[in-house]
Amino acid sequence: MHELRRIVPYYRRYRWRYVLGGLALIGAVLLRISVPYLLGSTVDRLRAAASDNAAAESLGLTGTDVSQLALMGGLGILMVALFGAVVRTISRLQVLGTSRRAVYDLRQSLMQHLLTLSPSFYARQATGGLMSRAVNDVQFVQSLMGPVFLYLAETGALYVVALSFMLNISPSLTAVAILPFPFFLWRARHLAAVIQRDSRAAQEGLAQISQKVEESLSGAMVIRSLALEDFDLGRFQTYADAYRDCNLQVAKARARLGSGMSLLGSISVLIMLAVGGPMVVNGKITLGNFISMTLYLQMLAAPTGVLGFVMSSLQRGAAALGRVGELFDEEATLFDPAPEIGKQHAEGPSAGAIRVSKLSMTLENRDGQKRQVLDEISFEIQPGELVGVVGPTGSGKSMLLKALARQMEVDPGQVAIDNTDVLDYPLAALRGSIGYVPQEGFLFSAPLAENIALGQPDASEEQIGDALRASQLEQDMDQLPQGTATVVGERGLNLSGGQRQRAALARVLLMQPQILLLDDPFSAVDAHTTDVILSGLRPYFAGRTSLLVAHRVATVQHADRILVLDGGRLVEQGTHTELLTKNGLYASLDRRQREQAERAHDVDNPEQEVD
Amino acid sequence: MPPQRHADAQEGDTPAKALDFVLLRRLWFYIRPHQRWLWAGLVCLLLMSGSRLMMPWLVKIALDDHLALANLEGYYPLVLLFLGVALVDATLRRLQQVLVETGGQSALRDLRVALFRHLQRLSASFFDRTSTGRLVGRVTTDIEALQELFASGVVTIAGDLLFLVATIVILFSLAPGLAAASMVVVPILICVTLLIRTRVRGAYVTMRSKLSEMNGFLHERISGMAVVQMFNRQEATLESYGEINQGVRGAQLHTVWWETLLSTSVELLSSMTIAVILWYGGTAVAQGWEAQGIPTGSDYLTLGVLFAFIDYMQKFFQPLNELSLKYTVMQNAMTAGRRVFDLLDVEEHLPEPESPTAPAQTYGELVFEGVHFAYDPGQPVLDGVSFRVAPGERVALVGATGAGKTTVLKLLTRLYDPQQGRILLDGIDLREFASRDLRRRIGLVPQDVFLFEGTILDNITLGHPEVDEERAIQVATRLHLDELVQRFPGGWHEPVLERGRNLSAGEKQLISFARVVAAAPPVLVLDEATSDVDSHTEHLLQEAVHDAMEGRTSLAIAHRLSTIRDVDRILLFHKGKLVEQGTHDELMRLDSRYRRLVDLQFSS
Repeated sequence: MHELRRIVPYYRRYRWRYVLGGLALIGAVLLRISVPYLLGSTVDRLRAAASDNAAAESLGLTGTDVSQLALMGGLGILMVALFGAVVRTISRLQVLGTSRRAVYDLRQSLMQHLLTLSPSFYARQATGGLMSRAVNDVQFVQSLMGPVFLYLAETGALYVVALSFMLNISPSLTAVAILPFPFFLWRARHLAAVIQRDSRAAQEGLAQISQKVEESLSGAMVIRSLALEDFDLGRFQTYADAYRDCNLQVAKARARLGSGMSLLGSISVLIMLAVGGPMVVNGKITLGNFISMTLYLQMLAAPTGVLGFVMSSLQRGAAALGRVGELFDEEATLFDPAPEIGKQHAEGPSAGAIRVSKLSMTLENRDGQKRQVLDEISFEIQPGELVGVVGPTGSGKSMLLKALARQMEVDPGQVAIDNTDVLDYPLAALRGSIGYVPQEGFLFSAPLAENIALGQPDASEEQIGDALRASQLEQDMDQLPQGTATVVGERGLNLSGGQRQRAALARVLLMQPQILLLDDPFSAVDAHTTDVILSGLRPYFAGRTSLLVAHRVATVQHADRILVLDGGRLVEQGTHTELLTKNGLYASLDRRQREQAERAHDVDNPEQEVD
Repeated sequence: MPPQRHADAQEGDTPAKALDFVLLRRLWFYIRPHQRWLWAGLVCLLLMSGSRLMMPWLVKIALDDHLALANLEGYYPLVLLFLGVALVDATLRRLQQVLVETGGQSALRDLRVALFRHLQRLSASFFDRTSTGRLVGRVTTDIEALQELFASGVVTIAGDLLFLVATIVILFSLAPGLAAASMVVVPILICVTLLIRTRVRGAYVTMRSKLSEMNGFLHERISGMAVVQMFNRQEATLESYGEINQGVRGAQLHTVWWETLLSTSVELLSSMTIAVILWYGGTAVAQGWEAQGIPTGSDYLTLGVLFAFIDYMQKFFQPLNELSLKYTVMQNAMTAGRRVFDLLDVEEHLPEPESPTAPAQTYGELVFEGVHFAYDPGQPVLDGVSFRVAPGERVALVGATGAGKTTVLKLLTRLYDPQQGRILLDGIDLREFASRDLRRRIGLVPQDVFLFEGTILDNITLGHPEVDEERAIQVATRLHLDELVQRFPGGWHEPVLERGRNLSAGEKQLISFARVVAAAPPVLVLDEATSDVDSHTEHLLQEAVHDAMEGRTSLAIAHRLSTIRDVDRILLFHKGKLVEQGTHDELMRLDSRYRRLVDLQFSS
């Protein structure tokens, strides 16, 4: 539970709201308990006033009309109830509202923190896992600090106040009456755990059903053509049955919990009858005491069922808080240089000379296995040069570009731009002068124009148009119902892989960066369109330092120079012709690709792009 | 057959009536086989109502006849009776919930399966128009909403009402004046809870949509964090996130507000009732005491009655309080139910022949006679296509996307029927075969391989009980699948993971070939996949194609030059018409569209 202290900072700024809420809560409990108290004492007063004058006198009731007494009792309860409602409202709004406000702050700082973590962190973590922490775990934290806290505090206060009222009436009766509570609490705790476990199983069952339906629908035509309907139905039935059984498990546990808790209420009354009743007859407690006490016990019995859930939420909340905390503990691995150094290079590189010396890099995958992806690579690129990078899959091409784009951590002295170590540039300045197009064109759910103007939100329509033309995306515009205003991405129009790549390219071209790093941005674009894009890019290459990674040798053959990577090492470099004469890896890649093109060529689709 | 509703049923998202008897009658069709559970549950509920009403009554007797009179004679048997009633009450409560849920869950399981079966029968053209997500929603969330009817006890609402009526009767027979006074708050309670619950529900709907907007945003930024950072959009992102986050907070504070209001007003009204009972009843009780002295006779209100009133009113409030909740559940269920039954009402399937032909032998002659077909009226995809494929002949279909090749395959496997013209297998119109029988005669290797959970071998024998394992392994070995499965510890019995995650694209295709070759249909229809595979697998696949087409009537949408060279004849489609046919060499010799197609492809 020590994780709980992590949340403290978020609540500190709202502590007065919490204090107010807590005070209101205690007030609300006191007022609630007053209702049975007033009821019981009014009954006793009425009895006294109505029967025996001596007793009435001792209570100071002489000459009071009983109807007046009853009216006073009723009005008293009414006042208490009205006042209680106000106080209760305040306590709930303060505690629950504050938990929402504090969690808002938590979400903001989590986002702020996530924005500083480097791509290597995101490569290590599955998106699903991060989402689960940022969404579900934060939600658990919210319920921990809101409803769970409220419920525990309220029930705790209720127990303390009610028990003290009860002890005041009769300690021995209280002791007996409270006897069944621990057992039922334990039972509630157990059943709550069972219900939560089985509900999760049911959730998974439903997910399976939904997955099955989706699968069968997407394969509907195939299933039909292969006459597999009965087989498929059998599969579905298995899932439907399993889901029903899961739900029944939950229902059974719920029924047990519900009946158990109503039994606790009845047993409390039973104990009052069996033990309290004779005490009334023996004059140890008054009839009014009996009535108040019975009602107190009912009040205590009511929240017991929920308490089981609350206790397991407390545990889950603490665990969730721990996981969120781990996320906060992740430190940024890409950061700005010390301010005095950063200040000297605040403008970022201007010429675009790149020097890579003995760049090595080891990656750790999600299973913790390490793999060397770059092995002592060294080369220099002059400003304005266009350099191609080729090599088999896994040779380290992408990683090299990521290192140059400051997407991956590098050691001091490994990469310098314009004779300045990249670590000495402020990140924003460096990134502003580097245009990096990754392999997968990533688009946000926003209008296309906004996606393209990402690096330059104030870009004019003309500039966006130019970028679209250069990346050959303009020819696809008639497929977009609202042109550049069409919302694309996950919650918009789904663009093809090739279209996304070209959009990502347009985005970078619009920025007019000094250095262009293109990581195989034509992998999903057909050869013809690639040629057109490349010729359109020529003016952009002029005067800029450019690195172009490609899996097709043909794409880079016109580069000023070509780097050939294999197994993380730089094995060859030179122009296309030079490399062919060398008859090394480059030449064999070239040969193999030409053969493959002939063998597996698609005669089906010549008029359309492959994407 | 379930009762059908022949209305111009529209896809409805407007809230339905909380009580739609037509819908309930249709739902009853699925409940009927499990109705005994529900009846048993209802009996339990009624008995339980009895026990619940009895307990305050026993307390009243204890107070009036024993405690107020200081008389313990016959008191302990009364306490024992109370214990018995309490135990019976708890048992019945548990039983009734379990019984109702068992009946309900079983009924909805049947409805779910019926819906799935219905989806299996719907025609291909229906799926062309309907999004998968929506259909998945019918089978999951919508039926889930119907499930709530049982889980929240809406089906036993009649029992609740009876309980309420019984309580009212008891209260009025005990003390009519006090009963009338205590009931004053009831209409207020009903109005307040109904009113506020609607607001609570609305606030929740808003909050959920805001939350999902936030989660969507977050998911995108996490997946695209590199892009955010590369373009220095961190601050702008935090700002946009802040706006969405504020929206969520606002919506959440709204729900807090309305929920607080709801719980506070219910509590307030409940306390007010106690106040009324004490004031009105207390006066009467005390007047009784004054008039007759304690102990009192039954002409006046007694303390026991007063206490029983408080108890009864609290028990009365609970179902009343839940009524508005159940109303919401019911409304949701009716809306969802209407959607489910509207889908069940869709009657789009290809007609089956009344007395299907089933010739013993299939020779495999295929004839297209003036076939016209359009997915959308006015946009013909096949426009008067006629050709004949001789038994045992192998034919490739080529042409640009949209030329109509895939449609030819879909008509052949009778996913659709031609709008004009006919397709004959051995001189018999395809429409005269039972569709299952037809699909045994015409085997398909689809472009998208469809794998089920199960072992690799299961996936080969799948759907063809006549294929035994030995034959399956024999066929698969001929296709060199044995090389591929030996890397798995389970070999042929290695389970295929969900959607074939543990298999490469080429391996999946090989399994798909093995499946068809093992079943040995007289006619083979092949839609070659375009996915990239390594050169070794490519070689295996070429062999598999050759093997599958060998000796049987075959129609292939070919993407491999090797396949095209392999076939006896090539049919070239252009804009829904068959424009050229001949062998590869013949067509290449001419100044054909085919040659241009091939040239264009190999020039780059």
